Amino acid sequence: MILHLLNRSPATAGTVDDALAAMGPDDRLLLIEDGVLGALPAQASLFTGLAGRLFALREDLAARGLLERCAEQANIVDVEGFVTLTEEADKTVSWF
Amino acid sequence: MNETEIATGERVTEGDLLVILRHSPHGSSWLREGLDTALVAAAFGQRVSLLFSGDGVLALLDGQQAGALGQKGTHGVIDMLAMYDIETLLVDAHALISRGLSTEDLLLPVSVVEGAALPKLLDQHRLVLNF
Repeated sequence: MILHLLNRSPATAGTVDDALAAMGPDDRLLLIEDGVLGALPAQASLFTGLAGRLFALREDLAARGLLERCAEQANIVDVEGFVTLTEEADKTVSWF
Repeated sequence: MNETEIATGERVTEGDLLVILRHSPHGSSWLREGLDTALVAAAFGQRVSLLFSGDGVLALLDGQQAGALGQKGTHGVIDMLAMYDIETLLVDAHALISRGLSTEDLLLPVSVVEGAALPKLLDQHRLVLNF
């Protein structure tokens, strides 16, 4: 299982498409930095195939005032959760 | 370059390091840094595969030149890949098609990757670096 990290806003950059195209059926996606904009309900349709495998970083959501505005499907993790996700993955791949 | 037969009958490349190149020449230093990383890894005996994706496919385009102020491009490095035993050159099919390009526009022979082969490619390399 690969943990994919996305730090670009899916609303403005096509990076998310590259990430999604490279994801296997068990891979997980963690939204960090501007990537957390992908956790907004308006972006939810991008990630419908990722049930249970989509995560967003709490600290980056909070900093942007998005913590209470997230779609249900985004699992919110803090930095410790980030570490745990990294431990559980065979490797990580960053998309920026 | 090693290949393993997988369940679907597709051939998937495996190796130590997969470098994904997603930025075009000249516009930024990402492409050059990715290629440099690949060369260093190969010099240390790692089996390196290159995946040209997105605007990165432009790195392989025939007919590249120096930039307007004489800046070196990256096409010289592409010519050196074989010298470093980097022979696994992969291109994302979608990246080519969406830019109206075909493998005939490219400097070197490449393998085209599409669909489900892409995640498998990442899975089959110990380390994946994105540029």
